[in-house]
Amino acid sequence: MTPKHWEQQGSKRKASPDSQNEYEDEFRLTNLEILSEEDNQAASSDDRWIDELPDINSSFGDEKTDDEQSQIDSVEGASEDENENGSDQENTIFPSIKTVVSDITGQFKQVLPEIEPEYDSDSSIEDDPNCVGNIPLHWYDDLPHIGYNIDGKQILRAARGDELDRFLATVDDPLTWTSAFDKNAQMDKSLTAEELDIIRRLHENENPDANYDPYQPTVEWFTGKGKEEIMPLSGAPEPKRRWVPSSWEKQKVLRIVRAIRQGRILPSKPKTTTKFEFYSIWSEPASSVAAPLPAPKLKLPTHSESYNPPEEYLPTKQERKEWAKMDPEDREQDYLPQKYSSLRLVPAYDQFTKERFNRQLDLYLAPRVHRVKLNIDPNSLIPKLPSPSSLKPFPTYMALKVNQSIHHIRCISISPDGCWAISGDEDGFISLWEVNIGREIKQWKFGGKIGALDWCPRVDVSFFVVCIEGILFFIIPPNLPNSIFSSTYALLAPAASSPAPPTSSPVQWESTSPDSWSPNKPILTVKLPSSSGVPNQIAWHRRGDYLATVAREGTQSGVWIHQVTRRHSQAPFRKLKGTVQLVLFHPLKPHLFVATQQYVRLYNLSEQKLVKTFMPGIRWISSMDVHPSGDHLIVGGYDRKLCWFDLELSEKPYKILRYHTKAIRSLHFHPTYPLFASSSDDGSIQVFHSRVYSDLMTDPLIVPLKILRGHEIRDGLGVLQVRWNSRQPWLLSAGADGTISVWCS
Amino acid sequence: MRTLWLSPVLLVWEETLEIEYIESVLPPQKLSEFPHDDWVSSISCQIPGLFLTTSYDGILRIFNHSRQLISSTRLHTAPITSLSCYLPSSTPKTTTTDDNQTYTLATASHDLTCLLTRLTISQNAHLEDVDEDSAMDGSLEGGSSGGLATTTKSRVTPLAALHLHIAPLSSVASNDDGTKLITAAWDGLVGVWDTRVPEEHEVGDVRGNIRNRVGDGQRSRKRRKVVEEEEEEEEEEGEGEGVLVGVKGVKRKVPEVVMKSHTGRVSRAVFGSSISGGRGERGKAYSCGFDSTVRVWDVENGLCVHTITASEKPFTALALPTEVTALALSTDRTMMLYDLRVSTTSAVVPAAAFPHAALPSCNTTGTGGNQVITGAYDGIVRVWDLRSVKSALASFDAFGSMEKKGTRPVGKKVLGVDWNAERGVVGIGGEGGFVVWSFKEGFGAN
Repeated sequence: MTPKHWEQQGSKRKASPDSQNEYEDEFRLTNLEILSEEDNQAASSDDRWIDELPDINSSFGDEKTDDEQSQIDSVEGASEDENENGSDQENTIFPSIKTVVSDITGQFKQVLPEIEPEYDSDSSIEDDPNCVGNIPLHWYDDLPHIGYNIDGKQILRAARGDELDRFLATVDDPLTWTSAFDKNAQMDKSLTAEELDIIRRLHENENPDANYDPYQPTVEWFTGKGKEEIMPLSGAPEPKRRWVPSSWEKQKVLRIVRAIRQGRILPSKPKTTTKFEFYSIWSEPASSVAAPLPAPKLKLPTHSESYNPPEEYLPTKQERKEWAKMDPEDREQDYLPQKYSSLRLVPAYDQFTKERFNRQLDLYLAPRVHRVKLNIDPNSLIPKLPSPSSLKPFPTYMALKVNQSIHHIRCISISPDGCWAISGDEDGFISLWEVNIGREIKQWKFGGKIGALDWCPRVDVSFFVVCIEGILFFIIPPNLPNSIFSSTYALLAPAASSPAPPTSSPVQWESTSPDSWSPNKPILTVKLPSSSGVPNQIAWHRRGDYLATVAREGTQSGVWIHQVTRRHSQAPFRKLKGTVQLVLFHPLKPHLFVATQQYVRLYNLSEQKLVKTFMPGIRWISSMDVHPSGDHLIVGGYDRKLCWFDLELSEKPYKILRYHTKAIRSLHFHPTYPLFASSSDDGSIQVFHSRVYSDLMTDPLIVPLKILRGHEIRDGLGVLQVRWNSRQPWLLSAGADGTISVWCS
Repeated sequence: MRTLWLSPVLLVWEETLEIEYIESVLPPQKLSEFPHDDWVSSISCQIPGLFLTTSYDGILRIFNHSRQLISSTRLHTAPITSLSCYLPSSTPKTTTTDDNQTYTLATASHDLTCLLTRLTISQNAHLEDVDEDSAMDGSLEGGSSGGLATTTKSRVTPLAALHLHIAPLSSVASNDDGTKLITAAWDGLVGVWDTRVPEEHEVGDVRGNIRNRVGDGQRSRKRRKVVEEEEEEEEEEGEGEGVLVGVKGVKRKVPEVVMKSHTGRVSRAVFGSSISGGRGERGKAYSCGFDSTVRVWDVENGLCVHTITASEKPFTALALPTEVTALALSTDRTMMLYDLRVSTTSAVVPAAAFPHAALPSCNTTGTGGNQVITGAYDGIVRVWDLRSVKSALASFDAFGSMEKKGTRPVGKKVLGVDWNAERGVVGIGGEGGFVVWSFKEGFGAN
């Protein structure tokens, strides 16, 4: 597009209202010319435009006439359109070709009419009156030019006057109030007469189209000859079959009705008479059966299951070995974390086949191998015992150690008041010493191994009995108060010798005469029959009148019961199966416990019959003691076993304790405290708490308290005898290493 | 002690801290050693210049500081367990010269009696040859061997035998002015005696004793014949066998008061504010026993006015560090400090409990009331400050006989300690004889 073109357009509009305005048009054009002189090229284009200007002016006048003509045509064409079909051929799109005779050749030639751009040019050109192209003009708002022409030159913005000019224009120019600035054209444009007419129509609420004729004549489209409708609607009546019932349908229905009547077709199933009964699920009591548990959710995979776990999740070699060693069911996790540097190095799942197989087994309801596993906390198997610290007092430490002899000390005994102790070694020495300080006060020497010694349990007299081979010596300790001494002396060496019992007894009782007696000598001597051996045990009756001696190695029956007051001895058993190891008097009843190698028998002495036989299951009984209440018995054996018998309960042991590593040598119940001790060849003494309840339903409570070590093992022998101090929870022990220890609480 | 504190915000305030500390004392040093044939059961360092020891062979020995045996007297035929010596104020001095000093000793023995003995010490600078006739019948006299510039001559005269107990005596003690004696024995009795020597026998003679007869060669055994009947009939059964064969001047004596409340062996009985027992309240007597009790007695009435019952703590020794506290040693290897003011009805809570490594046997207190020396069966003598409960201040091996045997130290037992705090001398008797250590009492300051 060129400026010439839009100038043509603009001039056309201005020229249209009135011919008087032609001056102004001229003036404007000169203005434009002046403006464009700033650029040479623009000037050249202007020059060209000036050349063609007269043509345009001429065409301008033609056009105007054409418009008027066409206007008249359109008005008249409505009435006579049918007639003008032929004339329409002339107004076709393509212009008619004129045939003229060429001036040069003299031949006919076809000449096409000149192209008028107003009508034949491309419509797209018309849409864009601006010569700078279809560019948003606001791009150039701030620039002095408004775009570029086809040659790439800047098109400068047209100069506009200032406010004063504009004011003057409003005064001078009557058209100013109907003009507006057109950005595309970069100039003020006054509204054309048509536009004003449109505005006016809109203002008067009329159709803005100037050509609209509200009073057009009626067009008869379907009336008249040749214009009537032939096809569109039918007036034919509906066929009969549309409203007469169908006979074949009737037959079909009849057939169905017949079948229903005959019962061949059940029209509908008999409805269940009982309606569905609603009930409240909440009103019922909750069932005792627990609701089925929902299936456990799978754990989320952890870091250790990653193909590339952090280093701290990787098992060490040791852990790996342990894991492999464990049973698959015991494993905490069924995989080992492994590290792969990349995902493509991860091998296939090695357990895949096995898991599929197990799944098949599950589906087949085949039981997998179920290993019965007993999970018992070992701590729960330990019986609930009170802690030893709550069972004080009991001996805990060695308070004294008295080196008595270089030989084994076989026997020890404590006086009933708990102040003095006597001990005898294998060389025949007996020493009397103070328990609390350990000072030896007196010593006696006998020719032969001391088999046993024991203090008389009576309080009103004070003496003790010592056994060597075949002989029993009765000895009075020194430093006795006069009353006790005299009664003891009177008991053991009565002035008027009692009438001698029937002399059938082979045991001879001999009192030392007062003339020859000194504290260093025994006051009474009981001679057992020859070849009766060394008595190994002295058992006093509680009242201190009877004492029993047992000699294990004797050829004859080794058991003798001596009565001190009557100075009489008797052998209670005429014939015995097995050698008697130990005897014990029952503390309350006239019963006697007799232990052979494997059995303990309880005899009633007054009725002269066997009461019970206890079977401890020990191969060789070494020691025995009876509880002060008389209802319980402990038996120790050389085969390390210690059996506790409840005499009322059973002939089998109530409890078997096997805590020593070597043969048990001695047992002793504390007379007053709930304690007993056992000594063994392993050099240790074990102290037990043994509470016996008067309630028959409650079992005795046996609690191991303390292992006392301190004796040395010599010649395979450890602690040979233990005895309790009757007043205090103190224990005295005689060891094969020739020492005696006092253990205090 | 005052301390100034400077805080970050420049506020200065003062705080007073009470700091109790114990002055460090010189470690104990062994001064001298007096070997004995038998175990030494009790000692006394209270007589200046002399050491008295009693032994299990029944002999009282007197040493001077130059380690010389001045006198050796067999007072009892049975072991002597305890010794107490005091200055008798009631008895007039028998000698006129100022050199002679007279003391009275009381020895308790296993032979069920306690013997009062007068000890006369005369220092003769000019006498060079003193005959030593300790075996003389009647009054026994001992003296140091001659050849010294100053000769100490001592005379031991048995005065009276105290007859009460029917079991071996465990201790004897006197009050501070020497007018009363208190004896404790295994039979649970506590006897209080005055020190007056009676003119006549107060209980019957015991000539019918078998041992007397055997010793005298008499062949006939007679029942005991009571020569004189005295006032206390029930005391008669308390009399024991005769002592001190052939001692003519010994009068038999009965106690003033018999205090009978202990159920077990009484191991120690002392008077309040006496020389050997430490402090305590005047007019009161204190005893402890194997029945786990500490008892306070009103001496005048013979009543037990206060009992502290511990649980399973047979007490072996007792000392009174202050007027209101008692320190008792127990066989469960503890030393308990009891406040005697606490009423009996409330639960007995010891003021302090000191763990003792071995079985303690004897104790003695210093004059300061805070320091205590104890001896034990492991042969180690420990010095305690009663304000520091945790451990002993010092401990030393008394006889140097410590031998490690296995895991357990087996030393020679210490059976008696006596601390003369003024002279800083600790006498220790026991299985290993008699040794003297020097130990000055350190006085703690507040």
